[in-house]
Amino acid sequence: MKKIGLTPYLLLLPSLIYLLLFFAYPMVQSLQLALRREGQYLHLRAEAKEEAAPTGTVAMQTDVTVLDRVRGEELLPNGRTRPVYWFLVEGPDTSGVPVQGWVSQRDVFIESRTESTTARVVNGEATQEWTLDYVRRMVTDFRFGNALATSVLLIVLILPLQFILAIVMALVLQSQIRGSTVFLYIYAIPLGISDLASGILWYSIFTQRGFLNSFLVSTGLLDQPFIFIQAGNQGWMIAAIVLAEVWRATSIVMVIVVSGLQAVSRDVIEAGEVFGANLWQRLRYIILPMLKPSLQVALILRTILAFQVFAVVVAITGGNVITVLANETYRWYDPARFNNPNVAAVYAGFIMLLSLGISFFYLRAVRSQEEATRAT
Amino acid sequence: MKKIPFLALVVVAVLLIAGTVIAQDNSLTFMSTQFNVVEEAEKARAILAGFEGAAVEFVGSEEGPLLDLLRAEGQAGEGTVDVIGALHGTFPTLVNDDLMFDLTELLASIEEETDVNDAFVQLGRMGTEDYQYYIPWMQATYTMAAHKDALQYLPEGADVNALTWEQLAQWAQAMQEATGKPQLGFPVAGLFHRFLEGYAFPSFTGGMVTKFKSPEAAEMLRFMRDDLWPYVNPESINYDFMNEPLLSGEVLVAFDHTARLKPAFDERPEDFIAFPAPAGPAGRGYMPVVAGLGIPFTAPDPDGAEALIRFMLSPETQGAVLHDLGFYPVVSGVDTSDLPEGVAIQAAAVEAQANAEDAIPSLLPVGLGERGGEINEIFRNAFNRVVIEGQDIETVLEEEGAALQTLMDETGAACWAPDPPSEGACQVE
Repeated sequence: MKKIGLTPYLLLLPSLIYLLLFFAYPMVQSLQLALRREGQYLHLRAEAKEEAAPTGTVAMQTDVTVLDRVRGEELLPNGRTRPVYWFLVEGPDTSGVPVQGWVSQRDVFIESRTESTTARVVNGEATQEWTLDYVRRMVTDFRFGNALATSVLLIVLILPLQFILAIVMALVLQSQIRGSTVFLYIYAIPLGISDLASGILWYSIFTQRGFLNSFLVSTGLLDQPFIFIQAGNQGWMIAAIVLAEVWRATSIVMVIVVSGLQAVSRDVIEAGEVFGANLWQRLRYIILPMLKPSLQVALILRTILAFQVFAVVVAITGGNVITVLANETYRWYDPARFNNPNVAAVYAGFIMLLSLGISFFYLRAVRSQEEATRAT
Repeated sequence: MKKIPFLALVVVAVLLIAGTVIAQDNSLTFMSTQFNVVEEAEKARAILAGFEGAAVEFVGSEEGPLLDLLRAEGQAGEGTVDVIGALHGTFPTLVNDDLMFDLTELLASIEEETDVNDAFVQLGRMGTEDYQYYIPWMQATYTMAAHKDALQYLPEGADVNALTWEQLAQWAQAMQEATGKPQLGFPVAGLFHRFLEGYAFPSFTGGMVTKFKSPEAAEMLRFMRDDLWPYVNPESINYDFMNEPLLSGEVLVAFDHTARLKPAFDERPEDFIAFPAPAGPAGRGYMPVVAGLGIPFTAPDPDGAEALIRFMLSPETQGAVLHDLGFYPVVSGVDTSDLPEGVAIQAAAVEAQANAEDAIPSLLPVGLGERGGEINEIFRNAFNRVVIEGQDIETVLEEEGAALQTLMDETGAACWAPDPPSEGACQVE
């Protein structure tokens, strides 16, 4: 037995720390966001001071009666003073029993600090509890089903197209025919383009005054521009997204396939030729089986990325009629819209679970086949 | 209390250091979520250069960073920002964290010279009776705009300045039949929720929240689905700023925020007209949008800040903001005789809309605090589900109405105009 020292572990340590810090920690935080609710409860005080003993606890949005008030003043660094009010209030505590105590102005909404006789509790100390409310909210949202269905539909439509195209493209490059390097450059263009840019590009092709309509109208195929992107015609929008995604992300699959092809030894293919295998037979029985590990990597990568597709969908369809999981995540997170990071975190967790599940499935499916072949 | 992001603390530290440098030459810092685009910021700086009290440092910012900065300054007890300018919807968070001076006395002294719009002053109290969180700064709204070519298709006897929704639908139909394609556009990817909250619902029901699931609301959605939407350019789902499709000729008639229509009027004032939004059975719903000026407790120079606000509220400054930036005054006595052509066209429509006899001013949601965006999604959901997805109107209104009621209950928000004032949370009838 060879003795293994500490060195390999030390070498692994930086990447481990990196993973813990930038993947595991945020992931745990985001799961907490999804499953824990920040409740707030307000402690009433025996005196008009922060540090005074609590006399009772009331829930948010409780209406309380104001019995008395004191006005203090705080001197600010800019020389002004700021009035600080404390109110003696009475209201039902968390179990409904009436309690009395002092609260600071910042914890209640009150119409008039000097005159009002009622106030409403709006701030307090944070408490945390486990909850499935946010999960429920995601699942019952009417867009959730649409988003999931569209995401899956896109994967089903895009992935096979991409893989067939990528393999053909890789074979063209591999064939060493004259000018195949030119193809390499053409194929590589989308690699350098961000998904938002490619979404906008394809939008400008399909829009009412876009390239496609201009072409069709100027060649006389259409009298009026046809509106591809419209709610009543979701098929065209899906088609536009599929085209944009295939165009944008096929070359990454191709790169993986090319590197896989290079590992296929020429001897094996030549041996096939000697035994009289035609092109299709060589592809089916020699090249594809030997490509399997690269295809597996590409499949996992593409499926995970397909669940994250976002910018292309938003750029082409506006994200209001056709929606995908990542778009919903943003819709809930966006401060100008739902402003609810909790539900957004549930979506994020859901996408992660889907990705994990699918990767696991792919790994298992391929491995069990290998084991099966080994056993025979 | 919200936790302060670490980054915001770093920003504060940097600004504090920078602030001590700035403070030496007696300048004021004016942080604004409005005019944060480069061209607009330049114009705003030019206007502020006319302030004689001190040099004004105009800092354009997005809403999020401004809130983080003020919260962090509040916790530090010391700050760099003297005056903030922001939309009404930004203030609830500042109120909740108790960060702003009461400006009641300043307002009273300004009103000795200039009359400030009462409805906006009321909004600036954020639901309280005696605490002026902000002083109204300027207003905008949403109107219609049309290419002059569209006017020939107006239905017989229709006055473009006093349209009804029925007439708009007939107009859109006539345009589609004559030109072969739908010519009416809405910014569904943009500020469309304001259209629903401030125009569609109030025009048909007279309310916003209370009448959300009334038979009148159902009738409105039916009208949108059957009579109007078939003649609306289906690419509307992708429109954000309506000046673009107007200028490119994709649509002839559009609805949007005045600032988002402005480039069309700036560029080709001779081609476009602006006119008030249509009226429904209940009246002409319209939504004024107001931005306010406030002073945080942490302002290094509150006296300078008050002087600056006084300057911003003077009719001359208000006129300059209208002239250069296209936001409308909130004080009376502003000279509007010498406006650029495009601004004048829009100003006339804004005035006609606000002063229409059947006008129903419908305010931005009040009292929802950080959940202000949720009401927008509820209105959008109702529209999308009925008009775009063809779901059953009553079911949708029942479900979204329940979501709306939950939102009102959980935030405790009282009704706001056009709904009648309520004791306690606003109730969906």
